[in-house]
Amino acid sequence: MKGIAHFISGVAAASFCPWAVEAAQNGNPAFFILGAVAGILPDTIDFKFYRFFYHHEIYIYPDPDKLDPQPVADRIAAAVSEAAATGKPVRVKLSTIKLSADNWRQYRVKIDPEAGEVRVQFGPAVSTGQMPQPGTLPTDRPVAVAKFSAPVKQSYEPVYTVDIFDGPSFMFKRDETGTVEIDFLPWHRNWSHSLTVAALLAGTASLWTWHAGVVVFGAYAIHIFEDQFGCMGANLFFPFTKKRTSGFRLMHSGDAFPNFGCVWLCCLLIFWNIYAAIPEPLYHFGFIRLMMYALVIPFAVFGVVHWLLVRADKGHPETLVTEWNI
Amino acid sequence: MIFTAAASVLAGTVLACLLAILPGLHIYNVMGLAALYLYSLHGSGVASMPEVFVPFMIGLITGWSVINTIPSVLLGAPDESAIFTVLPGQKYLMTGRGYEGTMIIGTGSLAGIFMLVFLIGPFAPKFLPIVRYVLNSHLHWILWVIITFILMTEWPKGGNWGPSGWCKFFAAWSTLGAGLLTFFLSGLLGFLLLYRPPVSIENAFQNIMPAFVGLFAVPWCLLNAVSGAEVPKQIVSDTLNISGDLLLRSSVAGGIGGGFAAFFPVVTGGIGGLLAGHATAQRDERIFMMSQGVSKTVYYTGALLLFFMPGLFITRGGGAWIIKGLYTPHTRGDYYLALGSIALSGAVSFLLLSPLAKWTLMLMKRVDYRHISIFSLGIIISLVFFITGWAGLFVTTVSTGIGLIPVLFGSRRLNCLGVLLLPIACNMSGVGEPVAACLGLL
Repeated sequence: MKGIAHFISGVAAASFCPWAVEAAQNGNPAFFILGAVAGILPDTIDFKFYRFFYHHEIYIYPDPDKLDPQPVADRIAAAVSEAAATGKPVRVKLSTIKLSADNWRQYRVKIDPEAGEVRVQFGPAVSTGQMPQPGTLPTDRPVAVAKFSAPVKQSYEPVYTVDIFDGPSFMFKRDETGTVEIDFLPWHRNWSHSLTVAALLAGTASLWTWHAGVVVFGAYAIHIFEDQFGCMGANLFFPFTKKRTSGFRLMHSGDAFPNFGCVWLCCLLIFWNIYAAIPEPLYHFGFIRLMMYALVIPFAVFGVVHWLLVRADKGHPETLVTEWNI
Repeated sequence: MIFTAAASVLAGTVLACLLAILPGLHIYNVMGLAALYLYSLHGSGVASMPEVFVPFMIGLITGWSVINTIPSVLLGAPDESAIFTVLPGQKYLMTGRGYEGTMIIGTGSLAGIFMLVFLIGPFAPKFLPIVRYVLNSHLHWILWVIITFILMTEWPKGGNWGPSGWCKFFAAWSTLGAGLLTFFLSGLLGFLLLYRPPVSIENAFQNIMPAFVGLFAVPWCLLNAVSGAEVPKQIVSDTLNISGDLLLRSSVAGGIGGGFAAFFPVVTGGIGGLLAGHATAQRDERIFMMSQGVSKTVYYTGALLLFFMPGLFITRGGGAWIIKGLYTPHTRGDYYLALGSIALSGAVSFLLLSPLAKWTLMLMKRVDYRHISIFSLGIIISLVFFITGWAGLFVTTVSTGIGLIPVLFGSRRLNCLGVLLLPIACNMSGVGEPVAACLGLL
């Protein structure tokens, strides 16, 4: 999920603690701030600290002036073969190609276990919002193919898109059966996304008060739980577990609807918890009524209007789509 | 009376539409001048009719909130050497589609007016008083949580290439560090302005104005003035590449962001837009642009509408504070007058958007956009001096220094809002005075 969904989930977790609401009513925002920080902290650790220190054996920098996908495919395939041959983990970093302040050259990499090959193709220039820019697709777009000589096991998805900011990285590691496992973004959702770290941080917060410890653990744990809905999962009990537990594969982290649904639901839960803490409220309404008026009806209306408008536009709303041959 | 009010709205709208073309000039500054004039009328015993100046003020805000798209798209040419990020509107300008970008954002503004008049207007008086009642004693922590979000969610723009290690870390944290520095320096400035206001008591309602001018307007104009970018030939297109579904999604995203900003104190349209953009996870540039149009219109005009809303009558945004000094609404009649004024002004200003955008493009052919920015800078500085004197100019100079940090380091300019967020959040949590005492301000 996106940062804001984790962030607001942490706040919602705090709102379930009666002492947090009571303290807030008395002017103390600390528990809610703690919840918010703990809610987003696992990703903050990964994206703002850990990834900059994570070592890679191979860095691949495609030439921005000569869009030749073959060297990229060759080096990835060589890394897979090296991991299979030596038994040592090989970490590979694919670099992004920045064209200007807001334009990046997109390319795709497919590591196909069944065909035993890596396929790479360059695509259009995209904005920082990852939207393809008109007229930027190269006229000549060959697909580079490079073979590797080892059985490979995917833990994520076979196709990786490289475009904005920091490129993806992989760790190729041979297991006891001789199969090379592909660990996508090995620095992400690893030790930082574990319940043991959540407990450790909660213990630290408990030095102030155990109430803070509960808020921190709840907010941190909800982040890990939410991430399980995606593909990558998390390393739930580091250091007792060494690998990430695969996710439920129900969504992608950038999907608009689940993210917005989560944010909105959390806002309503926070609102309800605050309302429920008012001793003799001036207005009276139940939880179901709140959810009906603020969640079910608006979402239903949006769904119907959205369906009608897309239908009126004769299909999907117009967006520029790139065709890939990998 | 209706015709008088309609004429006042139209006068305010037309004036705002013309002033909105100047980059960096905020309508609250103009309203401040108008308020000073009205105060002087009161002082000399001349009564001014609320049904004249209230619709006029509403026309000013609504018209400006729609038309200020023009300078933000057409008069903000980004220079590769000077900035790190380019807003989609500016990208449209640099690909010769500035007019299209302006009209896309303008369409969002029209959708915002539609939402205010037909959705928020009829339903909000029923629901918002309940929301306010429940959240009233919790506003302080909501503000702290927003501050936390702003500080924790800035994405490191550097450190994307090269081997891992401290070099990469520092490259990434140069932007993040600049953002944090900007926030805390602006917060410090905010404390200074709150506890040791340099502006005279008579102009206290414009106390924050010199700081805002320095933090936001002057860096924008300066950046334009030194920009080496040449604006390419602009094409005036007949159609906008948008669909009903894109408009719907933009309206939801922008409406939530703008509505949130309008309802919660100190939260500005920029923050609302940031939150809504993150929450709705919309990547399409057209949605982003339209949602910004919705958000800013709902924020500026919606905040003013809350001042007239039965059961609420809350003061949010500089416009409401300026009007509050002159008039206090009491009846449903005031609310309907405000709603009607917003509808009329919104419709007229949208109709004026296309000709004014074309006129601005014509002007840009004859006059360099850098000269327009310098001219605008002169007007803004003169306004600051006229209203707040030398002390205000000094505040503007200091805040310009702070406002240039995010421009030079490529961090979020939103961090400048620390000037409001930090002191007010501290005050709302009851720690404002101890912090001010620590800073030696008491």
